[in-house]
Amino acid sequence: MNTVFEFLFKYRPLVFEQGDFTLAASGSARIWIGVAAVAAIAVTASYTYARGRSTPVERGIMAALRVGLVLLLAFALLQPTLVVSTVVPQQNFVGVLIDDSRSMSLTDGAEEPRSAFVDAELAPGDGSLVDALSERFVLRYFRFSDVARRINDFGELDFSGPRTNLASALDLARQELSGVPLSGLVVVSDGADTGDRPITEALTPLQAAQVPVYTVGLGEEVIEPDIEVGRIEVPRTVLEGTTVMVDVVVTQHGMGSGSVPVIVEDDQRILTEETIELGEDGDPVVARVGFQLDRAGPRRVRFRIPPQPGERVERNNAREVLIEVRGDREKILYFEGEPRFEVKFTRRAVEDDENLQLVILQRTAESKFLRLSVTDSTELRFGFPTSREELYRYRALVLGSVEASHFTHNQLTMIADFVSERGGSLLFLGGRSAFAEGGWAGTPVEEVMPVTLGEPAGGPDGFFSEVRVRPTPAGLAHPTVQLDTPLDEVAERWDSLPPLTIVNPVTGTKPGATTLLAGESPDLASDQVVLAFHRYGRGKAAAFTVQDSWLWQMHADVPVEDRSHQAFWQQMLRWLLDGVPTPVAASLDRERVDPGTALRLTAAVADSSYIEVNDASVLARVTTPTGAIEEVPLSWTVERDGQYETEFRPSEVGDYEVEIVAERGGEVLGSGTTHFRAGPGDDEYFDAGRRTSLLERIADETGGQSYTPRSVASLPDDIAVTGAGVTLVEERDLWDMPAIFLAMLLLMAAEWSFRRLRGLV
Amino acid sequence: MQRILRAAFVSLVPVALVGLGAPALVSNGDGEDSGPAAAAPTDLAVDERPGRYPFYWTRAIYSSGSSGGFYGWGRRESWATDFPKSDRQFVTVLKRLVEIDVWDGENAVRLDDPILRHFPLLYMVEVGYMDLGDSEVEGLRSYLEAGGFLIVDDFWGAREWAVFQENMGRVLPDKPIVDLPLEHPIFSTFYDIEEVKQVPARGRGIPGGPPAAECRGCEPTVRGIFDDDGRLMVVINWNTDLGDAWEWAEDPRYPLEYSTYAYQMGANMIVYAMSH
Repeated sequence: MNTVFEFLFKYRPLVFEQGDFTLAASGSARIWIGVAAVAAIAVTASYTYARGRSTPVERGIMAALRVGLVLLLAFALLQPTLVVSTVVPQQNFVGVLIDDSRSMSLTDGAEEPRSAFVDAELAPGDGSLVDALSERFVLRYFRFSDVARRINDFGELDFSGPRTNLASALDLARQELSGVPLSGLVVVSDGADTGDRPITEALTPLQAAQVPVYTVGLGEEVIEPDIEVGRIEVPRTVLEGTTVMVDVVVTQHGMGSGSVPVIVEDDQRILTEETIELGEDGDPVVARVGFQLDRAGPRRVRFRIPPQPGERVERNNAREVLIEVRGDREKILYFEGEPRFEVKFTRRAVEDDENLQLVILQRTAESKFLRLSVTDSTELRFGFPTSREELYRYRALVLGSVEASHFTHNQLTMIADFVSERGGSLLFLGGRSAFAEGGWAGTPVEEVMPVTLGEPAGGPDGFFSEVRVRPTPAGLAHPTVQLDTPLDEVAERWDSLPPLTIVNPVTGTKPGATTLLAGESPDLASDQVVLAFHRYGRGKAAAFTVQDSWLWQMHADVPVEDRSHQAFWQQMLRWLLDGVPTPVAASLDRERVDPGTALRLTAAVADSSYIEVNDASVLARVTTPTGAIEEVPLSWTVERDGQYETEFRPSEVGDYEVEIVAERGGEVLGSGTTHFRAGPGDDEYFDAGRRTSLLERIADETGGQSYTPRSVASLPDDIAVTGAGVTLVEERDLWDMPAIFLAMLLLMAAEWSFRRLRGLV
Repeated sequence: MQRILRAAFVSLVPVALVGLGAPALVSNGDGEDSGPAAAAPTDLAVDERPGRYPFYWTRAIYSSGSSGGFYGWGRRESWATDFPKSDRQFVTVLKRLVEIDVWDGENAVRLDDPILRHFPLLYMVEVGYMDLGDSEVEGLRSYLEAGGFLIVDDFWGAREWAVFQENMGRVLPDKPIVDLPLEHPIFSTFYDIEEVKQVPARGRGIPGGPPAAECRGCEPTVRGIFDDDGRLMVVINWNTDLGDAWEWAEDPRYPLEYSTYAYQMGANMIVYAMSH
């Protein structure tokens, strides 16, 4: 289309967009031309009054055609001109930024890789792009992937960069060329940006400096046939043996229908395997996989789909994530207001679990408590904790059948703060002294509950009913509900479990709460909420409203060897512990980094009461793959209480361990450990199709243009008229546009044809 | 503590003497006949659904043999000794001593009745006369393996021990019966018990009456059976009769020493069984 336009109007549309239209004829010439045109038109118009064989209409048509001809001639005589600002040859610079990342090695559907364009068009040679540019501009070259740098020789390109960071590349080029007249930047890339900076950060300074960016997009937008595993979201840390539920998003292009296995591996050991049906072309489908990590330490869990026949890119079939598996023994306080078999069977369910220390505090008589699994004789010596420091030692709290009036107001507030401030987890169990029946309505703790409390069940015997428990759709995807059962058998397993009983009618949840288990009761108008949870402040709270889950172990319909009860409680308590913060927590901005690239180490520091500490001395001990230890101090960020940061650049390839220790006044507040790997990743192979929208956006927002290899030939001319830098004003004639002459010929031919048709010649 | 217990006993005397108002929750399993009318369970249980209360004091109904002796004459089955008065009084006092929500009535269940699994704690007496059928053996075994807890009481001497041992050998083969030392938590879970006492039957414990022991040279012993994970699942009170002390604690002639011990031991066993 542009070619046709250029043939008719001499110049490409871009020139018209950039230029200002004017008539070059002098003032007197304009007058004479105007007078002549008017006279000619008048004479021509008088023709409509001539007598002869023609009708007035026919004469009118012919006169109009002739008037059009006269006007066109007059327009040409007025010397229409386009005033264009063009860059001065060899006075301006153009930065050429070349994508040197691995994705440039992809061949897409072509025989040659994307990088072949660089060899063909950017190497000096006959008719190459770089030659055309060189004629008008002084060129400066940059290569970019994860980092960008100036190059002088294309031999420095090896297309092996682990990431594509467009923003930093644009920044570098702008800064390096800020001292010279810069006409624009040319970005040669597939646009598959994998950097962690938003591109806007780089575009705004370019807009301010009025530097247009011209993008040349390489590769296909869609790579097919191909299967790709999407980004995986997993908890950063879990307790050993915890069931982890993960949604794996799989997208296919050009593979057609069918099913593929999703394999989850930990160090070459298959943890689980699920088969999923592929979706329509480009439609992502979600595979839910559940697995347990039973080895403490940093685990690299790999989710992969075996390469399928004909696949273009195989390296986007697998994703690897780092999960810190804690092998600690973590403490949960279970406070029960009376002897109940829930205590016995819950203890039994987790007693073999080396990672759970379920501390029992059971009221056996007024002011008399039974303490079990305590660490020492002083623990809970006076009953339920009366200070935050004492309560906050536990990472989760389970409240059984105990009335609210047992606690002081301070203790009730403390329980609420345990969740909201300390970030602990709180589980409420059903029982005659629980929920509304236990007088919890109106207390500070009621707000923490994920369920709504009604009026206490009345009558001398209170409320009592049976419920058959079943998972909700949300529950089927939750680790607490899996019962260590294959995913497709979970619902069936729940159906096989005997009904339980309730004494607390609970049918409503708070806004934002999620119900995982529900139960039908013949004595309730709507379903009983059996298990629900919500986030509250920094922690989470859950309600398990039945009173005898031990029946899942004891009931005659449950085989003795059945592990449902045990699995439920192990996973429930583990889930409660997930994400509960420690006084000192270490985190990183990413789990894989390229050697030499900065990594941000962050520590959240609090004291034993979980009050943020801003005057701590925080030190990171980084153990390198070769065993060397580097110590890096962290500084308080000021913006946020208790947050300390520093940067670290790994130099070796391999796995690193980061231990962050916080001290105040010589007292150790705590420590946290995390891990990362330094080395190349596979980021470049994911979502590796040409990102046309991003490239167009860069060009549009900076006043540049976007091109493909097919349209790139006009790039030098375009920069000449749209670029910044040292420019001059150029007048380009339009009177000799072929379009004017064609129009004249057309009018003349039209009149002649009309005459012939009407027999007027 | 003895004063408290005495007050508890005195206050419950009227209840104990009337002793008839409490309902019963009784198994109507498909097993053998549960015995003559003197100790026959009633059917008041139809209005009660297991689970309403956290705890039901549950007595095991088992088959007795015909090896002679008092129970072999057919007057009543050995499982029903002291039933139901002992059970009712024990529950009444237990509620005053322990913060526990207990079903007020007696609850006798057959060993082969599936409903037994709703009651994770089971009391069994006079086991020297037991003669378990295969279904009872299977029922008790699966009950214990699933997590049930059994308290055995009121049997005396070597002959009765042998009968019990033979039957338990069928229930839990390869599981040894071992002495429980006083250091075991069951002696300190609620009350601190420093000595295992020989609790006599009502007539024997009264000063001036026959010897406390029902057999010569019988030493009171508390023994236990543990599961493969080292958890106590059976506690055996041999050469002692806790049930009689629970039954007759309100009798001013019955020595407080024995009734105190019996209730303390009972409370300990229950609190232990509900938490371990």
